[in-house]
Amino acid sequence: MSEDQTPQRPDEEATRGSRLHRVLLDTGGALVFPLFAILISFLIGAVIVLATGNNPLAAYAALLQGAVGSPTAIGRTLLGATPLIFTGLAVAVAFRAGLFNIGGEGQLYIGAITAAWLGVSLGFLGPIGIVLVLLACVLTGFLWGAIPGFLKARFGAHEVITTIMLNYIGIYLATYLALKPLRTEGLVPGTDTIDIAARIPFIGLGLGRANYGFFIALFAAVVAYLLLWRTRRGFQIRAVGLSPGAANYAGMGIGMNTVLALAIGGAFAAVGGGVEVLGVYGKMTVPFVTQLGFNGIGVALLGRNHPAGVVLGALLFGGLYSGAQEMQFATDVPLQLANVLLAVILLLVTATKLVELVLGKRARALAGARLEKGLGQ
Amino acid sequence: MGEIFGAPGELLASTIRFATPLVLAALGGMFSERSGVVNIGLEGLMLISAFAGVVGASLSGNAFVGLGFALAAGLAFALVHALMCVTFEADQIISGTAINLLALGGTGFLLVVIFGTGGTSPRVEGFEELPIPLLSDIPVVGPALFSQSLLVYLMYLLVPVTFFVLFRTPFGLRLRATGEVPEAVDTAGVSVTRMRYYGVALSGLLAALGGVYLSMGLLSAFTENMTGGRGFIALAALIFGRWHPIGAAAAALLFGFAQAVTIQAPQDLIPQEFLQMLPYVLTIVVLAGFGGRAIAPAAIGKPYRKE
Repeated sequence: MSEDQTPQRPDEEATRGSRLHRVLLDTGGALVFPLFAILISFLIGAVIVLATGNNPLAAYAALLQGAVGSPTAIGRTLLGATPLIFTGLAVAVAFRAGLFNIGGEGQLYIGAITAAWLGVSLGFLGPIGIVLVLLACVLTGFLWGAIPGFLKARFGAHEVITTIMLNYIGIYLATYLALKPLRTEGLVPGTDTIDIAARIPFIGLGLGRANYGFFIALFAAVVAYLLLWRTRRGFQIRAVGLSPGAANYAGMGIGMNTVLALAIGGAFAAVGGGVEVLGVYGKMTVPFVTQLGFNGIGVALLGRNHPAGVVLGALLFGGLYSGAQEMQFATDVPLQLANVLLAVILLLVTATKLVELVLGKRARALAGARLEKGLGQ
Repeated sequence: MGEIFGAPGELLASTIRFATPLVLAALGGMFSERSGVVNIGLEGLMLISAFAGVVGASLSGNAFVGLGFALAAGLAFALVHALMCVTFEADQIISGTAINLLALGGTGFLLVVIFGTGGTSPRVEGFEELPIPLLSDIPVVGPALFSQSLLVYLMYLLVPVTFFVLFRTPFGLRLRATGEVPEAVDTAGVSVTRMRYYGVALSGLLAALGGVYLSMGLLSAFTENMTGGRGFIALAALIFGRWHPIGAAAAALLFGFAQAVTIQAPQDLIPQEFLQMLPYVLTIVVLAGFGGRAIAPAAIGKPYRKE
């Protein structure tokens, strides 16, 4: 599918003269909520740090140092951001169709177990094995993600609830596979280790354990962008999200687009799980990484459900987690502060009325309209 | 059966123990969702309360002070959810997710700050088993049902009380109407905002009871992320029980039974992971409309704006 003839919207025609102005206004508007949420959350964080008897400035300085202060720190940030780009995209793509994908956690596990399984059997293929394994993750994630889409399109079952439920089903399924059929002897219960030749290599350059998975994540973000804004299907998905009634009237078929949006989201999250296994752990152990799916929701919202925003959001989250380790080391502030900061950001990022209260109606009008479009029921 | 699952009385007793936090949190979710506010933050509310209870009990050496701390924490964080969703018109799903993250991060943070250890808190005074005279002497059923902690008995009471409040009082009528047709409630001169605050606040208190039962009934200490998805199982019970107190309690009992079987059944009979999946699978099945469709309150998830 290459170029498609999207009819120009009339409002675009009218304001063509001030296009640059519009873009600036749009971007500025889009940033109001995230920046506001980040600022408030750091203020609250400073109060918490003060309450623990530490100096907030020192703590935040250590945080910054730990996030971007050295090649190792940057590497840690990239490492942390990588899976969040994938789970963020999983949420963002569904969001564009007006759907909530809370199922990133389970989808990531499905991808992880796919990679842990096939990675071992295809290990002898080396780098080609990596490609094949990740393609398999696309497939299993797509199918897993399609389930809530199908349940919604066919039976009207709300995707928020079904994706939450499928999180646990996916986690238990992957756990079962890792502990029973695929289990190997070892200190930590889990699957066999994947041949080093079929693992995603480290970037090097003093970036520590950061691996090329980060670039795969960037590639995924580009794919998501092209898919949503440069294909007919993407146009339909966004149309369904903006105005289901109009999309239906135009004969776009809400059901199929619902299934596809959630399935594509599932594929992204699953590849994220695959990249974690192939790039970081080399196998799937029980317990496995947690909260990546849920944090993806915050990443997507902070990034206004745009692939470029998702990358930035994931870098912020990755930086916070990476910096928090340094902060705990340099001061007495426990690293769990990062989770608190992120939770507060998430809590505030959709609070339209609050922004209006603090920044006035104009800011809300600027930012709110886009938000409400993105959050269609 | 007896051979495989141990004594039937033991299975029943452990079903009740596993079901109690689920029933309490599901009843909490009921008040919130019936008022029109989705509460996927039940998990977080339980976790925060479980922690606050242990802090209170540890400071005072008294379980009831712990209970008070837990209720206060559950209420406070539920009000944050209400403030965000009702007053600031933030998205309810996002706010609930944020509450869950806040609970996980906040309790982990405070565990280190207050007790100086990650992972697990020191042991505290919990709610001991309190056999009810006579009733607990009934063979098999007696010890299982009536030799439990105080919070379990409270759960027995709260199921009919919730039913009565929701369906037999003016407050319940208003609350339900707020979740179905907020415009009508508004027209009748009742504040939609206030009813939703009540609904969410009650969900915080009930989830707090569920949470404190985990840390001070089942165990006598807090461990990181000790809810482990129970808040979501409670949400599942609420939906599986079709937003009805008796239905939700029955669903929670069924899910509690599944957990009890998981613990007691021998490993090779049926993989425990599949039993653990059961609540979630069943919820999807009813949501898809098999065996009678589960229909949510009509105005759920939508902020109410006065015209």
